[in-house]
Amino acid sequence: MAILQYREALRAAMTEEMERDERVFLMGEEVAEYNGAYKVSEGMLEKFGPKRIIDTPISENGFCGLGVGAAMNGLRPIIEFMTFNFSFVAIDQIINNAAKIRYMSGGQFKVPIVFRGANGAAGQLAATHNTSTESIYSTVPGLKVITPSNPDDAKGLLKSAIRDDNPVLFMESEVMFGMKGEVSDAEDYIIPIGKARIAREGTDVTIVAHSKSYWIAMKVAERLEYEGYSAEVIDPRTIRPLDIDTIVESIKKTNRCVIIDESNPFASISSEMTYQIQERAFDHLDAPIVRITAKDVPAPYAKNLIEYYMPQEEDAYQACKRVMYVQ
Amino acid sequence: MAIPVEMPKMSDTMEEGVLAAWLKEEGDTISAGDVVAQVETDKATMDLEVYDDGVLLKRVIEEGDSIPIGGLIAILGKAGEDVSAILASYSGGSAPVAPAEAPAPAAVEESAPVVPQSAPVAPAPVVAPAPAPIVEGRIKASPLARKLAKDKGIDLALLQGSGPEGRIVKRDIEAALVSASAPAPQAAPQVQAPAPQVAAQAASMVPAASGDSYESVRISQMRKTIAKRLAESKFTNPHFYLTIDVDMGNAVDFRSRLNEKAAAKELGKVSFNDLVTKACALSLRQHPWVNASWMEAEGEIRLHHDVHVAIAVAVDEGLITPVVKHADRKGLAQIGAETKDLATKGRNKELTPEDWSGSTFTTSNLGMFGIEEFTAIINPPNACILAIGAIRDTPVVDNGAVVPGKRMKVTLSCDHRVVDGATGSAFLGSVRGYLEDPVTMLL
Repeated sequence: MAILQYREALRAAMTEEMERDERVFLMGEEVAEYNGAYKVSEGMLEKFGPKRIIDTPISENGFCGLGVGAAMNGLRPIIEFMTFNFSFVAIDQIINNAAKIRYMSGGQFKVPIVFRGANGAAGQLAATHNTSTESIYSTVPGLKVITPSNPDDAKGLLKSAIRDDNPVLFMESEVMFGMKGEVSDAEDYIIPIGKARIAREGTDVTIVAHSKSYWIAMKVAERLEYEGYSAEVIDPRTIRPLDIDTIVESIKKTNRCVIIDESNPFASISSEMTYQIQERAFDHLDAPIVRITAKDVPAPYAKNLIEYYMPQEEDAYQACKRVMYVQ
Repeated sequence: MAIPVEMPKMSDTMEEGVLAAWLKEEGDTISAGDVVAQVETDKATMDLEVYDDGVLLKRVIEEGDSIPIGGLIAILGKAGEDVSAILASYSGGSAPVAPAEAPAPAAVEESAPVVPQSAPVAPAPVVAPAPAPIVEGRIKASPLARKLAKDKGIDLALLQGSGPEGRIVKRDIEAALVSASAPAPQAAPQVQAPAPQVAAQAASMVPAASGDSYESVRISQMRKTIAKRLAESKFTNPHFYLTIDVDMGNAVDFRSRLNEKAAAKELGKVSFNDLVTKACALSLRQHPWVNASWMEAEGEIRLHHDVHVAIAVAVDEGLITPVVKHADRKGLAQIGAETKDLATKGRNKELTPEDWSGSTFTTSNLGMFGIEEFTAIINPPNACILAIGAIRDTPVVDNGAVVPGKRMKVTLSCDHRVVDGATGSAFLGSVRGYLEDPVTMLL
């Protein structure tokens, strides 16, 4: 096991895949000369040269379209968004072209492309730079959405995403780029897309949480353990396709579920999970499913407000107590 | 200040007492410990002792009157003192009541933990099967509870839910299964058809054809918690017991002098129990291994830096153990006032979790019932509990001569995983030291 930063794990995944397959290339704003806005691609220009590490103008709609065209013609582009907030400029390329061409061409074209970059809130960045986009993109058939919470998952899943023949949105986080963690040094370390990870086994309540929210879930589980309650924490890792089986199996054991989701609440990932859980595990539920989400407003700028806007550990903790009927 | 004498709880099942006979007249001078009347409970006729000195100002109830626990029996005080304020404050409760209203168990009981706890009490099930449907109309139950009930053949209409708004949840079904498997009149799972149910009701009106008849009492939350925690303590903690006899002569003098001063300052009286609390608190400070907890899950023994003494208080349904926090740093008057306040709150069900959690040691006093000595079950996660007996007038040998003496036996139950015989004995020696020379408690 090597200890790597989240950004180093991403870089390792891209580097390995580019060494393995010459059709893979990286394109985006500041990825080459500047070594990446968040230093994810540091040193890659030197290693692979300007034909495979490509700086673009500030023109998301343009370079995303270019990426989709390249993928249709047999290359395997990685498109970096400085943040997924900027992907909205290119939403037609992602939703109408990348997601649908394979279907509309009757399978004649494959679109093996990865869109990756920071997603979700990262402090005082105000309303337009703090969006959790995973709920928006996972509604679209044809897209895969991955949200790793730690360096190990980041590496194993990014390698899988690059090898996938379909468009994958790979969502990272500004606040996790510096996070260190153990990363498997198995040769060609691959984590399959669509498999959740049971991060912690428990018997009294299931907490489902992805990306940054996963770390809130782990803290809540520790607090509950101190009081004698046993929480099971599941990190779905992939939002679409969602590993609902693992979640349902857990709830059959615990009979209770709390979901922590940084998305805005309306029609969010937690809404979808709640639907699927009640559909498959209705007779196993001993309490209503509770979700803790960002507040239903644009992200505020003020420090105290953006902190309040985000899912709160205390709320998640209280929710667990509530579904266990121990309040 | 006039002092009310209340109907004490003389047995676990007692709800009210009948004043069988007055043994003192109004105007008689009474000393603490005197028997002023005899009270007939559901179990026996017992002596009613008073705990204060004074003149019997008023006999509030007549022989043959029945009053509930806590009702006013008599008033003590200085001769000629006004008793109207006390009478007014007990108005209603003091009057002899023929149909004594026992506090009816609330429809949905809060799962109020009874004893201090750092570990949580597992979701406590609420026992249910009552003979008739409890809920009219739509039954609220979790999907899981509905499925379990269907699988096990339990009629949800007969259950009382412990969830929000009476929702029947998994633990309620589990509790029903437990009580259904017990040899109770309703042993068999409820059948949904109405006819057998009517038959069952009718049957319960007449004594069973064979065997003795009995009354089936619903197990309250408090009794369940007591059962669970004390059984767990007694069967898990290796208990051993140390008894010591304390010469209370000095303590008796000390207390009466103290209470004279307290009365002058209009402070509440200090009881013998308060003296014991203080002596224990100071001794715990000196014996950290007694002020300790065996933490199985953490794999450690915890020596507490703070001294919080819990005091067992009898209440309607059982007992509670409110905590006098930082008892080692508090004066006797404050300990007395807090203990009294906590006991009152306990009886009125006004205690908050704050009041009963965090104890590091517990005392239990049955001296007022004339118990000479007894052993108590350790209150987890404490390492020890002190059982306090009555102060007895007894002949003692002093300098070769037999003279009257005052003695009190206290028994320390120790968790042998934490406390060894020598440690417990040293602690008891320290407690005895303070009580035999109470002035040292002020040092």
